[in-house]
Amino acid sequence: MTRTLRWLAGAWTVAFVLGLIGLGIRMFTGERLVGYGSYVPWGLWVALYFHGVGIAGGVFVVGTIGYLFRLPVLRDRLPVVLWTSAAAMITGLIAIGLDLGKPFRAPFMFLTPNFTSMMAFNSWMYMVFLATLAACFVLHRRASTAVPPTDRTGWLVPLLCFGIVLGVAFPSQSGVFFGVVEAKPFWSSALLPGLFLTSAIAGGASVLLLILTFLPSAPETPAGRTFGMLRWTIIGAVVVYFVLEFGKMSIALWSPASHAREPVELILAGPFWWVFWIVHVGGGLLALALLWQGRSRAMLGTGAFLIALTFVATRLNVLIPGQSFSELKGLAAAFSHPKLSFHYQATVTEYLVALFIGSVGVGLVYVGLRLLTGFTITHPEKAR
Amino acid sequence: MRSGAEIPPEAETTGVELSRRDLIRAAALTAVGAVAGVGTVAVSRSSDGGPSPRGADSVRRLPVLETVPNDAGADPLIRMQAELRLAMAKPIEERRWSMVIDTRKCVGCHACTVACIAENKLPPGVVYRPVLEEEFGVFPNVQRRFFPRPCMQCDEPPCVPVCPVSATWKRPDGITIIDYDKCIGCRYCISACPYGARTSDFGLNYTDDTPEAQPYESLPNHEYGKSWSREDHGSPVGNARKCHFCLHRLEVGLLPQCVSTCIGRATIFGDSNDPDSLVSEQLRQPNQLKLLEEKGTKPNVVYLV
Repeated sequence: MTRTLRWLAGAWTVAFVLGLIGLGIRMFTGERLVGYGSYVPWGLWVALYFHGVGIAGGVFVVGTIGYLFRLPVLRDRLPVVLWTSAAAMITGLIAIGLDLGKPFRAPFMFLTPNFTSMMAFNSWMYMVFLATLAACFVLHRRASTAVPPTDRTGWLVPLLCFGIVLGVAFPSQSGVFFGVVEAKPFWSSALLPGLFLTSAIAGGASVLLLILTFLPSAPETPAGRTFGMLRWTIIGAVVVYFVLEFGKMSIALWSPASHAREPVELILAGPFWWVFWIVHVGGGLLALALLWQGRSRAMLGTGAFLIALTFVATRLNVLIPGQSFSELKGLAAAFSHPKLSFHYQATVTEYLVALFIGSVGVGLVYVGLRLLTGFTITHPEKAR
Repeated sequence: MRSGAEIPPEAETTGVELSRRDLIRAAALTAVGAVAGVGTVAVSRSSDGGPSPRGADSVRRLPVLETVPNDAGADPLIRMQAELRLAMAKPIEERRWSMVIDTRKCVGCHACTVACIAENKLPPGVVYRPVLEEEFGVFPNVQRRFFPRPCMQCDEPPCVPVCPVSATWKRPDGITIIDYDKCIGCRYCISACPYGARTSDFGLNYTDDTPEAQPYESLPNHEYGKSWSREDHGSPVGNARKCHFCLHRLEVGLLPQCVSTCIGRATIFGDSNDPDSLVSEQLRQPNQLKLLEEKGTKPNVVYLV
């Protein structure tokens, strides 16, 4: 385990340094070197943002339910759940902050919000969620007893329940964010909230399982209740996601004149077919096989890691194909410029910044684990 | 924080214990959140646009060019110019700017596109009025027609409600505008527009990758009647941008640049609230077409085919 952790620490350092270079390029060149433009205005960073906030909601919902049901490992790890959820949320917000054309004006979202916009609504939900996380964290630190889970004020459990509602709501709203855009037939679907929520649950449970595999807790084995709950949650969520995804795609393909047909064909057989077939389906099936077997922590951890990583594809495969077709035929040819293209290819700068975003997320989680559990890379056996 | 070892073994199997008080408090929190959410959305939906001047503040007393004959045989530009000045003498609530583009007269010269770029000093990758081409028929019976595509200034603009900071709104005269000082550059409005009429200013210059920047690129543009300098990442760099019917020109009694430039007089512009205006005459023609009308956007740009 120590050797694996040291290898991972090395990989993280490389990713972080490369990410800092990307961040520097982003700061000095603005958005000149990005691959997105005016016809495909959202790219990799927006996908990471939705993945991050989805994981935040998923970690909280799954971890808190585990805590409330007093599952071993989770019952005394609530601060880890809260911190990880907050770290994922902050990571997602960093991603979207770097995507803004005027990032320093982001506070306008709170000063002059327009609540007819799902983006403003989501932003406020994130802040309420982070405040709920902070309140739960403080109340839990003051808790007099862990069983039954309560505190002196009696507000910890109600706040956790409220947080679960939020944790379900804002990942679903991420789907609504796209669903209300009538201009894009591929997005305008009532299935999207369900897809985004399912992806969030799969991603959140995966991150939680991945963390727990690194936190040795004596009584819990891969066959234990907590690991069992998490792996079956992931398996269930991934299967449900595949079913919903099949439904969305098959309807578009079945209908002879569906407006959503072209985006689906782009996903399945376009230049980025491998994102769907290899990363999403291949990675997902491999992860399912590993989680199904679930014989060792390494196997569970690898399966969880694969889901947490490859499910970025679920965001990309909604985002990019939806933007890749114009409702006005001939628009692409009407005025030629790389920023006026319906073809999106992430640039090196975007990938480098993505490394920064990812490494910040992992770094935040590590700092939290270290502070909350004493977890270290060199001596993981000392972790509680 | 207590460790797992301190928890009685039986607790592991008894499941969750939520007291009635816990449930009532959780329900109360959720209800407060739901009411707050619904309330804020309702208030936002009932607000009536942004801070546009209204009433007497919006009236412009512009001199009418009496020395230029405006009779039945006058050039449409002369007539539209005179009607524009009459319209500007009315309060903003009584004007309704509309545009009619006669595709039978458009020759696809792209002069409007270029004039718009020059007027608004648009950088690379930003375009307000591209000209779409359509080829139809089967050889040898084929035909081409052109569709200049400005902002449709929709009556139900999908770009407005998605803006998270109220940086874009529809004026009472029908023009949808952007406040460059408020726009955060999220590009949600760009995604929401089915016409692709909004583009983002990514801070590019025509002289990028050349030895020297040329002075014309640092000149400010005067959209919305203000002076906007793009130097040092100033707005509108990073903002969404769009056609605004050359609002800064309307305010001083000038037609939009694309209208003035159209060599075939294919673009007709004016106040559709004035039944005697040229644009109203054209709007009464039966051979009309509105782009993507099925989207429910109610565009104020009409094509004659």
